[in-house]
Amino acid sequence: MVHHILCVDPDEDAREETVDKLRSELAAQDLRFETAGSLASAEAELTTDTAAVITEYELPDGTGFDLIGAAQTACPDAGCILYTDTDPDTIDTTALRGSITEYVGKDSIFGTERLSQLLGTTIETRVQATYPVPQNETERLAALRSYDLDSPDLLASLDRITDLAADHFDVDRASINIINEHSQDFLACYGDAQDWESMDREDSICTFTILEDDDVMTVEDVTEDPRFETRSETLLDMGIRAYLGANLITSNGLVIGPLCVYDDDSREFSAADEAYLRDLADVAMDLIELHSRLDSVAGDMGEAQ
Amino acid sequence: MTTETDGGYEFADGIPINPIDPGNIVMVAGPALSRAEDVARTLVADGSDNGEGMLYISTNMTAEKLLNACRQTHSPFDDTQMGVIDCSGQDAAQSVLGERVKYVSTQSDLTGIGMKFSALYEGLYGVVDQGRVRTGLISLSSLSMYVDLRALFQFAQTVSGRIDSAGGLGVFAIDPTTHETKAVNTLSQVADGRIEVRESENGSGDGELRVRGLPDQPSGWQSFTLSE
Repeated sequence: MVHHILCVDPDEDAREETVDKLRSELAAQDLRFETAGSLASAEAELTTDTAAVITEYELPDGTGFDLIGAAQTACPDAGCILYTDTDPDTIDTTALRGSITEYVGKDSIFGTERLSQLLGTTIETRVQATYPVPQNETERLAALRSYDLDSPDLLASLDRITDLAADHFDVDRASINIINEHSQDFLACYGDAQDWESMDREDSICTFTILEDDDVMTVEDVTEDPRFETRSETLLDMGIRAYLGANLITSNGLVIGPLCVYDDDSREFSAADEAYLRDLADVAMDLIELHSRLDSVAGDMGEAQ
Repeated sequence: MTTETDGGYEFADGIPINPIDPGNIVMVAGPALSRAEDVARTLVADGSDNGEGMLYISTNMTAEKLLNACRQTHSPFDDTQMGVIDCSGQDAAQSVLGERVKYVSTQSDLTGIGMKFSALYEGLYGVVDQGRVRTGLISLSSLSMYVDLRALFQFAQTVSGRIDSAGGLGVFAIDPTTHETKAVNTLSQVADGRIEVRESENGSGDGELRVRGLPDQPSGWQSFTLSE
């Protein structure tokens, strides 16, 4: 997997030296470095694919904290590391209160070794994300990418499943979502959910559903749940107060996302409700895998001819 | 990633826990009366017997109170490789630990706590044998009164990443009775294992603990004693 790293330092020689050392000490990783010498040029390099930002504190047109603030919007999952000559005791951290930044002193007797260890851990396990990541995340993402999820026939079939789910639970919104590396995307939607667009993973309820041991998750009221209460205003605006999600699990046991129903009132879901949605999620996954096999067979036949 | 550390982190005879491998994070969970925080503090202070670094993020105790508590359970206690992030919010006093105490005025300043933790960790890592450092975060429950769950999770996970990448041992205290189960389950995702602490049923020892999720550990509830 390619990891995009943004390295920011006004001192060009120091910047290039840091990049060279990281590239050499983390040779086993597929790293792509972008570099910048100012806050403005660094901000222009931030994308949703940025995995980590390594920055000096003092920049000619601002501070490393300004950049970290911008990164929280552009790439909320990115790990941020202050790699600086500035003494941490002299930095006013209240400006960035609540967000997390790693600190490595440039005068460390270990040189870039500590920085590379920390960067390695940060990008491998996404340690600065605000949500837990499954232990088998790499395999899970590989499984997700192995399916052709753009087929119109498949999407039409999945739409019918969200229709069935919405009808059964008497709700206005239902969807089948996939959890990508940094985002939640909607494969099939019913009702008002058809207006929804891709969202950051940190704002998604489903990123917690894919961690559930029993592969189903109920949220009776997002305003009362400690995981979602700080994001509840946005969720309520989307018409989501109660939630039930059941995971789509591949034949290899990996979760690609859930089938969900949403209610704009708080509500309880019974064990029978959970079992029904789980059955529908299994049907949805069967459809995805069957389409994948059909594509594969069609490809083989095409080659044979 | 390989680190310089190799053998497991060992504990005093009164604590019935086998050595824990470098890079692991354990959650020490128990209600206020169970002495869970004392267990967490001791698991870190036991590093004194092995010449290891000891680093505390202390939310309730000042650095001085924490040092005294360590001295009461460990005699002699070598504080030369001890560091404290004192976020008790009480006035910063001159400490015998000198530069190895860093103050953060409010527990809501997770940025400051995290950066000062990183700086102190770096300093200790450089001076202790094989970079062996034990970290105690006491407690997560106290921090949760100042920040929301997602910020706290992000903070705990970042601290655990630092410990993991350096081959350290992390001990995070939590009082599960003060949180919803969903919050405890979410925070538990940052830990490799869990040590549950309760009051002793028959009055023996200082309480009982049981280890979950770590390999090669005693099963079931075990009596422990904290003082030597």
